[in-house]
Amino acid sequence: MDFDWTTFVLEIINFLILVWILKRFLYQPVLSVVAKRRADIEKSLSDALQIKKEANELKHKNEQYLTEWEAKKEAAQEQLNAELASMRESKLAELEAKMNEEAERRRILDERNRHEFEQLMEEKGIAQGVAFTSKLLSRLASPELENRLFLILAEDLQKLRERDKHAIAAAAEEPGLQIKIQSAFLLDTNKREELTRLLQEMTGKILPIVFNTNPELISGFQINIGSWVLHANLRDELKSFSEVLQHAG
Amino acid sequence: MDMPAVVFYIGPFGVTSIVVTTWGIMMTLGVFCWFATRRLTLIPGRLQTVLEGLVLAIEDSIKAVIPEYAQQVLPFIATLWIYIVIANLTGLIPQLHSPTGNLSVTAGLASLVFLSVHWFGIRSGGIRQYLKHYLSPTPLLLPFHLISEVTRTIALAVRLFGNIMSLELVALLVLLVAGLLVPVPLLMLHVVEALVQAYIFGMLALIYVAGAMQSQQGSEKGNHI
Repeated sequence: MDFDWTTFVLEIINFLILVWILKRFLYQPVLSVVAKRRADIEKSLSDALQIKKEANELKHKNEQYLTEWEAKKEAAQEQLNAELASMRESKLAELEAKMNEEAERRRILDERNRHEFEQLMEEKGIAQGVAFTSKLLSRLASPELENRLFLILAEDLQKLRERDKHAIAAAAEEPGLQIKIQSAFLLDTNKREELTRLLQEMTGKILPIVFNTNPELISGFQINIGSWVLHANLRDELKSFSEVLQHAG
Repeated sequence: MDMPAVVFYIGPFGVTSIVVTTWGIMMTLGVFCWFATRRLTLIPGRLQTVLEGLVLAIEDSIKAVIPEYAQQVLPFIATLWIYIVIANLTGLIPQLHSPTGNLSVTAGLASLVFLSVHWFGIRSGGIRQYLKHYLSPTPLLLPFHLISEVTRTIALAVRLFGNIMSLELVALLVLLVAGLLVPVPLLMLHVVEALVQAYIFGMLALIYVAGAMQSQQGSEKGNHI
């Protein structure tokens, strides 16, 4: 327990020096680097917060842009839908009109085809009827029937209208004209003379007359005076009958 | 214990082995700190991490007591802790004695604490305010304040000296009586005791300093009331 004043004083001095040494070489450097690190960390945190804030702002802006874009998209979609609907309505109307037109055209075509078919059938029917009648009349043809037709011809010639008589007379003025008379059966002399007389009365002049037989007439006569043709035979009657039927159909 | 041997003389003053040991501790600490802190980086290595942990732990302990003046008193209190720990553990090295096992050393340290209490107290609030706190809450307590200042300083010195000296003495006695390896557990106890005594000394010094610095604030508040 001895107390040494020299040691006491030297220890005080030593400790004060040690305080300076440790302050200079330990506390200050360590606290300085810790403070610098804290400052760096705080700066990093501040930067990070700033970046986060900017990111949030950007995110907010982006969300706004997205919302606006979504609204624009929906508006454009609605407009497009409306335009599409309008266009579809227009196209449908146009298509319907075309379909109606096509249906009308088809109906007309069908009607015409049907009409043509009916006409064809009618013509066939008339032709068959005419052929049948012609065949029947061919079997019924005889000199008696021809005599009867001769009487009808003579009566018709006498009953011709004046205008027709003048026209025939005018046609007979053609130089070198030759009257052709065809008959289904050979005409006897009386009938030839009777016909010659009737024609001279009608034309007012004596013209050369050529008599021929033509079995295709079935029964009756055909007289050619220039461009005029006078007929009183079954073939031409049937033909006229057929034409009348066709026109009537 | 015997009087430490005088190694050499500076004029009429004999420099004892204790002072030489203290110089050795100072030199070791100074060289180590210079070497360890010459290239500190923001990304610390292992040694830097240990040093930062030590300094920050001390700083946190001081801040827990006086957060406003932590930076001001840190060098003094931290040096007390570091020096006393190393001085206490020096006794474990053969042929060396703990400087803190000498009353002259602990008295010097306690005297420094005594002076630093007044120094920091006066610096924090001025001498007038500082002296006024001895009169609070009533001037009748002034003698007790003065006695307390002296006795607690003596207690500081004697507590540390007594504990460390007794540890070394007990270890020596056990070694003499029991043999070579028997004092090993006692030496382990020495380590713990060295840490505890250093902590107690430093913490008491901190509390005394903090008391001096904060008592003025208390007296100011009391006056305002």
